[in-house]
Amino acid sequence: MTSDNVLTFEKTSFEEAVVIAKKGTHCGMCRFDFLGSGVCSAGRKHGFLAYWPQGRMEIAKQLDSGRIKPTEALKDIVNSCNFCGFCDKQCNFTTQLRPEKVARALKEYVDGLDESEFQKIPEDDILQGLREIVGEKWATNDPVIISSYTMTIVPRDAELNYYIVMPENTEQVSKIVKFAIKNNIPYQPRSGGTAFSAAAPTVLVKGISLEKGIIIDMYRLKKLEIHPESQTATVGAGITMFELQKEALGHKLRALAAEAGAHVCSNILTTGIISTWGNKYGAMADNFIDLTTVDEEGNIQKHSDWERKNPYSTEPGFTNLTLCPNFILTEAFVKLHPVWDDEKAVLVPFDNIRDAYRLLIKLGKRDVGLSLAVLSRKYLAEFLSPTLQISKDFNYVCKNYLKLNYVVAVVCNKDDKKIVEDMVDYTIDESLMKSLILGAPRFTSLRDSEFMKILSEEDDPLKAIFAGPMRKHLEKALDPSPENVAKVFDEDLQEFFTKVYSKPEMTDIVWLHAFRILPTRMMRQQMFMGPGAAMWTGDEDHYINWIKMFDEMGEKYNLEHTLGFISPLDHGKFAYMEYDYYYDHNNPDECERVSKSLIESMKETLVMGKGLTILNYLFKGIYRKEHVMYPIPEGISEEEEELFDELIDTVLGD
Amino acid sequence: MVKFLSEEWIEIGKNYMLEKLDPEKDLRSITTSLLGVVEHIPPDDITMNFYLELEDGKLKDFIVNTGNTFEEKEAIYEVRGNYGTYKSVLKGEMSLGIAVLKNRLKVKGSKLQALKLIKPLDGVIVALTEITDEFED
Ligand SMILES: Cc1cc2nc3c(=O)[nH]c(=O)nc-3n(C[C@H](O)[C@H](O)[C@H](O)COP(=O)(O)OP(=O)(O)OC[C@H]3O[C@@H](n4cnc5c(N)ncnc54)[C@H](O)[C@@H]3O)c2cc1C
Repeated sequence: MTSDNVLTFEKTSFEEAVVIAKKGTHCGMCRFDFLGSGVCSAGRKHGFLAYWPQGRMEIAKQLDSGRIKPTEALKDIVNSCNFCGFCDKQCNFTTQLRPEKVARALKEYVDGLDESEFQKIPEDDILQGLREIVGEKWATNDPVIISSYTMTIVPRDAELNYYIVMPENTEQVSKIVKFAIKNNIPYQPRSGGTAFSAAAPTVLVKGISLEKGIIIDMYRLKKLEIHPESQTATVGAGITMFELQKEALGHKLRALAAEAGAHVCSNILTTGIISTWGNKYGAMADNFIDLTTVDEEGNIQKHSDWERKNPYSTEPGFTNLTLCPNFILTEAFVKLHPVWDDEKAVLVPFDNIRDAYRLLIKLGKRDVGLSLAVLSRKYLAEFLSPTLQISKDFNYVCKNYLKLNYVVAVVCNKDDKKIVEDMVDYTIDESLMKSLILGAPRFTSLRDSEFMKILSEEDDPLKAIFAGPMRKHLEKALDPSPENVAKVFDEDLQEFFTKVYSKPEMTDIVWLHAFRILPTRMMRQQMFMGPGAAMWTGDEDHYINWIKMFDEMGEKYNLEHTLGFISPLDHGKFAYMEYDYYYDHNNPDECERVSKSLIESMKETLVMGKGLTILNYLFKGIYRKEHVMYPIPEGISEEEEELFDELIDTVLGD
Repeated sequence: MVKFLSEEWIEIGKNYMLEKLDPEKDLRSITTSLLGVVEHIPPDDITMNFYLELEDGKLKDFIVNTGNTFEEKEAIYEVRGNYGTYKSVLKGEMSLGIAVLKNRLKVKGSKLQALKLIKPLDGVIVALTEITDEFED
C-alpha cells in the first residue's frame, strides 16, 4: 500500500462497516479470481472463512451484535489483511459493496481494544484430536472464526458450539468422520456456501444447517487435473465451478456449467448440476465417471468399486426428501465436452412466455444447441446491468417500451444457428448483446425518452428494434463502450473496470454462459429464493399453469417475484424451471413470507403433479436422472397432502 | 435419574406411556412396531436396540436388547442412528422429523407409511424425553 492510497482512503466508522456487512449475501465470489484482479491472499493462506472478505464482514456483524467477544485469533485475522483492494473490485462487480472498508474499520476497532479484552480459547480434547489429523493450523474452536460461518452452515441464532476443520485429502476426511462418530459429534461438510446462503434466512435453515459439531471446510481439497485425451477431469472437493471451467477451457473443453462459486463436487451431489447446458451434456449421474466418497462410518469408497451395492438406486416419490448429504464427496472424475470453434449465441426475444416456451421445447426435443434456456427479463436485467439501479431501469425499459419479457437464449454451432434463425422472424445477435452490456448505463436516460415512446407505439416494438430501422438508433443511444460502463462504478475503481470491460470475454455471451460470473448479481444486497422443479413438458398448458401458480404465490405473499429461467432436460422431455422470490434477508417478516411461499408452492407442485420440486431434487445428484425423474410423478392424493402438511409442520414448524 | 436404554428406562417409559398418552388422541389408535437401533454407544462403541409395539394406540411391548437386531419379533420399521442423534432427539434438541431429513436417522420400511407415524410418534418421543435424563458421555 502506498502512502497515496492511505491519503485518499475515506475512513469508515465501525457502525458504517456493520451497515455494509449486513447487506452482504455470502455469495462467495471473493474466494476465486473471476475478474483477473487477483484474489485475497490472507484467505488463500489461512483458509478459514474468517480470513476471507466475506468472513470479515460476518465478524463485524457478530461483534456488533455482541454474539462474540474478541479472541486472540481476531488479532491475527485483522492483521492478515494487506488491504490490496482485490475484494472491493470483485464485490463491487457483483453486489456494489466495499468489503475492504469493513476490513479497515474492523482492524481499527480491534486495534483500539485493550489487551485484556482478548479471550484466550483453550484447546480441548476434541480440538486436539482434530489437530492430530489435519495439523495444528487447520482445526479451530475459536468462536470468532466459527462465527464467520454464520449464514453459510451456522444458523444465525445458534450457540457457537462448533469446531472447524480443513482436511487436505480424502484420508483425512475419513479420519475426521471416524473421530466424530467415536465422539458422538455431528458433522457436516461446507464447500462454497452458495446453497447454504440461499437457505439460511428461510424455514429451510433448520434442516440444512449444522446445529452444532464439526464443520468440515472442503476448501483445501484442491486437486484439479484435466485429461484432454479422454475429455475428463479429476476434481477435488475444494475446486469451484469457475476454476474447473477455466482449466478446461485451456484444453478447449468445457464442464457442465452452474454457479461459478459453487464447488463442483458439492454441486454434483446437491442438485446434480442444474444447467442450461443440461439438455446436451446431461444431468445428475450423466456428469461423472466416478466418485470418491466417505460414508457415514468413515469408509472410503468409489462408485466404481467392484462388488459394491448399487450406488445409483434411489427411492422414487415425493417422500424421498433429504436435506443433508448421505456421504462426503471428496473427489469426482467428471466428463468434459468439446468447445467448438464455430460456437455462437443467438437470442430470440418474446413478449409472452407461451411462445418462448414453445420454441424452447421444440429446440430441446430436436436436440438443437448446446445451451438452451428461456431467460426472463429480470434475469437479463440483473445479469447485464452493473448496478442495481441500472437493472431496475433496464427492466423498466424492456417491460414498458420494448415489450421484451423473455428471450430464448441458445448457444450452438453454426449449423444449429441456422436452424434457429429459420424457425423465427428475428433474433438478437451477439453484436447487439455486446452493445446492451456496454451500453447498459444508458438505460437510465432512455427510461422516459422520446425515442422509447415512439418505439413503444410500433405494432411490434421487438421487431422494430431487433430487425428494423430502430436498431441503429438504439445502438447509437446506448453509446456502448468499456469506459461508459466503468463510469458507473466508484471513481477509484473506474480504471480497473474499463480494463475488465475491455476484455473480449466480458461481452462474449458464450463465455458468460459457461463461466456464470453474473448470476450472483441477483444477490445484490438482497436475497432470492428460487423454488422450481423439473416438470414434464408433454402438456404445455400444465406447464404454463404451473408458472402461473408461482406467480400467484408471489402476489399472495406480497413479494417481488418473477420467472427466472426454463431449461430443457433429457431431450426436451422435462424442463427445469426456477421461479424467484426476492427479499430483504435482514427483514424477518419478508423472510417468513418467502418461507411460506416456498412451502406452499412446493405443495402445489406436488398436488399438480408431473414434476419434481427442488426439494425432491436436493441431494439426488449422485443418482441417475432416469431413476429420479421417472416414472413421471402423479399428483399427490388428498391424504398424502395431509401427510405433507404434517411433515412440514413437525419438521419445520416451531 | 433414568438412563437411556437402561432396564429402568423401559419400566418407567412403559408406565409413563400407559398413564399419560391417550391411545386415541395422542397415538391416533395406530398399530405398528418399530425397532430403534442405537449405534456407537460410548464408552465401548456398542450397538443396542429397543423394540416398541403399539396396538390400537396402546403400548403392547417395549423391550431393550443388545446388538443390531431383535430376533424375537420383526418390526415394521427400523430406525437406525448414532447414540448422539438419539441423545439429541431425547433431549428435545432435534425433532424426529428433522433427524430423518438430515439423514441422521435412517428409516427402513415404506416412507409414506412412516410419515403417518410422525405425529403419533412425537407423543412417544415427548414421553421418553420426559423420563430420560441420563446419557453416556
Ligand atoms: C446465485 C446462485 C446461482 C445458482 N445457480 C445454480 C445453478 O445454475 N445450478 C445449480 O445446480 N445450482 C445453482 N445454485 C445452487 C447452488 O449453487 C448449488 O446447490 C451448489 O451445489 C452449492 O454448492 P456449494 O459448493 O456452494 O455448496 P454449499 O452451499 O457449501 O453446501 C451445500 C450442501 O452440500 C453439502 N456439501 C458441501 N460439500 C459437500 C461435499 N464435498 N460432499 C458432500 N456434501 C457436501 C453441504 O453440507 C450442504 O448440505 C445457485 C445458487 C446461487 C446462490
